[in-house]
Amino acid sequence: MQDYNRAVRTVWRVTLILAVVTIIEVVGVLVYPKEEAPMLPLQLFVITLTLLKAFYIVAEFMHLKYEWKTFILTILLPCLGFLWFILAFLWDGTHWLNQRGMELYECLPGLFG
Amino acid sequence: MSPFNVPWGKAMMWMFLVSDAFTFGALIISYGTIRFSNPTWPNPEKVFSAFPGLGEAYLPLMFVSLMTFILILSSVTMVRSVQEGVRNNKAGVVKWLGLTIVGGAMFLSCQAWEWTHLIMHHTTLSGNPYGPAAFGQFFFLITGFHGFHVFSGVILNIIVCTKVAKGDFEAKGYQIVENIGLYWHFVDLVWVFVFLAFYLL
Repeated sequence: MQDYNRAVRTVWRVTLILAVVTIIEVVGVLVYPKEEAPMLPLQLFVITLTLLKAFYIVAEFMHLKYEWKTFILTILLPCLGFLWFILAFLWDGTHWLNQRGMELYECLPGLFG
Repeated sequence: MSPFNVPWGKAMMWMFLVSDAFTFGALIISYGTIRFSNPTWPNPEKVFSAFPGLGEAYLPLMFVSLMTFILILSSVTMVRSVQEGVRNNKAGVVKWLGLTIVGGAMFLSCQAWEWTHLIMHHTTLSGNPYGPAAFGQFFFLITGFHGFHVFSGVILNIIVCTKVAKGDFEAKGYQIVENIGLYWHFVDLVWVFVFLAFYLL
C-alpha cells in the first residue's frame, strides 16, 4: 500500500514536470528575439529540454529506471547508434547544400546564424 | 534463470519499441537532412498558428501545445491503469484505461482538424505557401505515421479494456496492461521528438 501511494505520487510529480517543461519550451520559442540574436542557444535549449522530457517518460512512465541493469543496457546501448545516425545524415544534408553553391551559415540562419 | 527478470511479453514489446524507435528516427533524421540541404525553410510559428473556432486569430503553436498536453495526460492515465493492475484492482484498470482511450481519441480528432486546416490552406504533398514542398511531404508522412501508431494504440487499448472488464485477466494478472502501456508511452515519447522537429526548431 505504501509502495502504491509513493508510485502514484511520483506519477503526478512527473506529470507536473513534463507540463512545466513543455510550457517553458513553447514560451522560450515564442519570446526569443529570433531576428537579432543567434538561433543556436535557443536550439540547444529546446533540444536539452526535449531530452529531459524523454528521460522522464522512459525512466518513470515506461518504468525502465526500475528494471535490472542488464535489461536497461540491452535497451539503451543500441540507441547509441543514433549519435552517428544523426551526425552522418545532417552532414550529408550540409554537403548537398554546398553542392548547390551555398554555405549553411549563409542561408540557414535558423540553424547556425 | 533469467538475465533480465522481466516477463517475455514485456521483453519482446521493448525489442519491438527499440526497432520502432529506429524507424521513427530514420524518418525524423531524413527530415533533418532535407532541411539542412535547403536554403530556406518554413517558420513553424507562421504555419501552425490557427486554433479551432477562433478563425483568423494568430495563436502560434497554441493548438499543438494543447495536443501535446492531451497526449501527456493520456500517458498519465495509462500509468495509473498499470498501477491499478499491479494491485489487482479490476475496476481501477478499466476506469483509467477508459480515460486513456478518450485521450487518444481526442488527440486523433485534434490531428484530423490540424490536417484539414493545413490542406484547406494549401499545404499539401505537392507544395505549400511557406517554402519547399518537402516540408509538407515530411509533415504529413511523419505525423501520419505517428497518428497511425496512436490509432493502433487506441484499438489495442479498446480490446484490452473490454477483455479486462469481462474479467479475462482475473486469474492470470494484468501484465498485458503493462505491455500495451509501454507501447502507449512510446507513442508519447515519439511525439516529444516530432514536436521538437516540426514545431520548436
